Amino acid sequence: MTRDWLKHLILILGAIIVLAPFYMMVSYSFKSPGEIDRGEGGFFGRQEMMIDPRCVALRQPDRADIEAARSQFPGQDDAGVQSALLAETEAACSIRPAVFNYTKAFTEAPLLRYLLNGVIVTVSIFLIQIVVALPAAYALAKLRFWGREAVFGLVLFCLLIPVHAIALPLYIMLAKLGLTNTYAALVVPWTISVFGIFLMRQFFMTVPDDLIDAARMDGMSEFAIVWRVMLPTAIPALLAFAIFSIVAHWNDYFWPRIVVTGNRDLFTPPLGLREFKGDGDGSFFGPMMATATVIVTPLIVAFLIAQRRFIEGITLSGMK
Amino acid sequence: MAVIDTRAVAHAKPETRQARTAWGLTAPALALMVLILLVPVFVAGVLSFSNYSLGNPGFDWVGAQNYERLFTRSTYEKMFIATFTYVVTVVPISVGLGLGAAMLVHSLGRIGDIYKTIYFLPVMATLLAMAIAWEFMLHPTIGMVNRTLAMACGTWAEAISFFKSGCADGFPLWLGDRDYAIWVVCFIGIWQGFGFNMVLYLAGLTSVHRELYHAAEVDGAKSAWERFRLVTWPALGPTTVFVVTISCIRAFQVFDTIEAFWPQGGGPNKSAYVMMFAIFEKGVQQNLIGIGSAITMLFLIFVMFLTLIQRWLVERRVHYG
Repeated sequence: MTRDWLKHLILILGAIIVLAPFYMMVSYSFKSPGEIDRGEGGFFGRQEMMIDPRCVALRQPDRADIEAARSQFPGQDDAGVQSALLAETEAACSIRPAVFNYTKAFTEAPLLRYLLNGVIVTVSIFLIQIVVALPAAYALAKLRFWGREAVFGLVLFCLLIPVHAIALPLYIMLAKLGLTNTYAALVVPWTISVFGIFLMRQFFMTVPDDLIDAARMDGMSEFAIVWRVMLPTAIPALLAFAIFSIVAHWNDYFWPRIVVTGNRDLFTPPLGLREFKGDGDGSFFGPMMATATVIVTPLIVAFLIAQRRFIEGITLSGMK
Repeated sequence: MAVIDTRAVAHAKPETRQARTAWGLTAPALALMVLILLVPVFVAGVLSFSNYSLGNPGFDWVGAQNYERLFTRSTYEKMFIATFTYVVTVVPISVGLGLGAAMLVHSLGRIGDIYKTIYFLPVMATLLAMAIAWEFMLHPTIGMVNRTLAMACGTWAEAISFFKSGCADGFPLWLGDRDYAIWVVCFIGIWQGFGFNMVLYLAGLTSVHRELYHAAEVDGAKSAWERFRLVTWPALGPTTVFVVTISCIRAFQVFDTIEAFWPQGGGPNKSAYVMMFAIFEKGVQQNLIGIGSAITMLFLIFVMFLTLIQRWLVERRVHYG
């Protein structure tokens, strides 16, 4: 029992280090700039009303405003009216820090658009990967044809090439085709998943031939067999592959950074966060951490809900 | 003639038809494999002998000049040093921590699962976002790390020279200090990756047979260390080969943290100028495609070499049992 305590102690220390940046990220996303600077307020901050300086600056009363508002404040001189107006503006511009940070995250930059782009890109990558890989995997596992060994050898060779490593020539080719700064550029290099082919082939090898022969007896074409017989049997493997693929591409920063330059409409979430950081003058820690929290949350929540599946999916590459 | 013909067709028909559909089914994958994976390797190989730039009408062949530069200029010397420092630091430590955590978690049974969940979180999280979080943590004045360190000031900890100088002249700048920069990046790499290794080792540990431990005990392996050395470690051989290879490949590809911390130049005095960042900076930002391609080729050679070693080890059946 005493040994168990020691183990827990070590593991808890490790857990604190692992969780520290998550704690800080979420905590800062709730706090006001002053609290962040001074390092106070615990986890949630005190959530005292704060005044948004930009909001006040935008609504600075000018001469016309003062003239217009004179009737509301009878018997006051210009300075009096101005200070009354300022007080009104400040009241209108005061806001809870947590609300401030998260609204800024969505209004300073088109964060929703970035998230949507992230979804579009990851989902299209996954669907195309399946459409390309599944028939090939079926042919390699279940059909006899001249050249099959050569094709499989090519698959094994291509497993050696990480797509990130050949990013530069891919970028040149896409630039030559005039495809940089398009959705196509974000998706195309990932459409072929050699790993997906390999994985599905290994899985299909375990599917009994009788199942396929029965389908052929029923007059199904090979093409129909792939989608109506093999696909349903492969759902567990596909799910693991989906998690593997989606996590990798939602989090990918390197490739989008290369092919998308400047066009905010195409930014994926990590690029959006990077842009946010570049723009910030340093006082924007709160909204930036709110953005980071928003980007990280979907996968973390999905992971916590379906832990076992996620761990299987991510470590899928361990099945080689 | 006609008779032979029909017989041949009737005989060969299902075979050829199957072959034709098979090629039809593999054709898209095959075409994409060639276009997206093989052609670029070839393109990089060819361009690495040129001084090509995007937008220029022509280019010259420069022979091995790009490669010569890689091995003579001090910038690239720093690149190799940074890359290898990172790989050589991150791989053993993250594999070791992964194994250690897996053994501890495994021995705790079901309660250990909570640690598994926690340690796996960094693997799931967007690395770029977490890099920015770490940057705040390491902020010289308002960061949590230096604030925590400063709490030790005025206590017995000041006896340690690190705290003594830190309390007197301020704690390190971390990311701005060329003595610390690469190590901080290594630390974040380990922080992010060891949970992945832990999960792979946990899968490996569940497949070690209990009887082996009993047998080892009968043979006189009394201490925990002996049992580890004689049973656990050999049984985990295949897992270790895989974990080390994938950690190496991932470590070679480090980019997000470097670009997030130092968008220009790869760290103070280029101390964290790793290969991926060099490819990005030279090839994409500065449009020096020849030199970028040369780095790409070297990179591919390293990675392929590592994977081939792994396959060779696996084929030799690493587990000795």
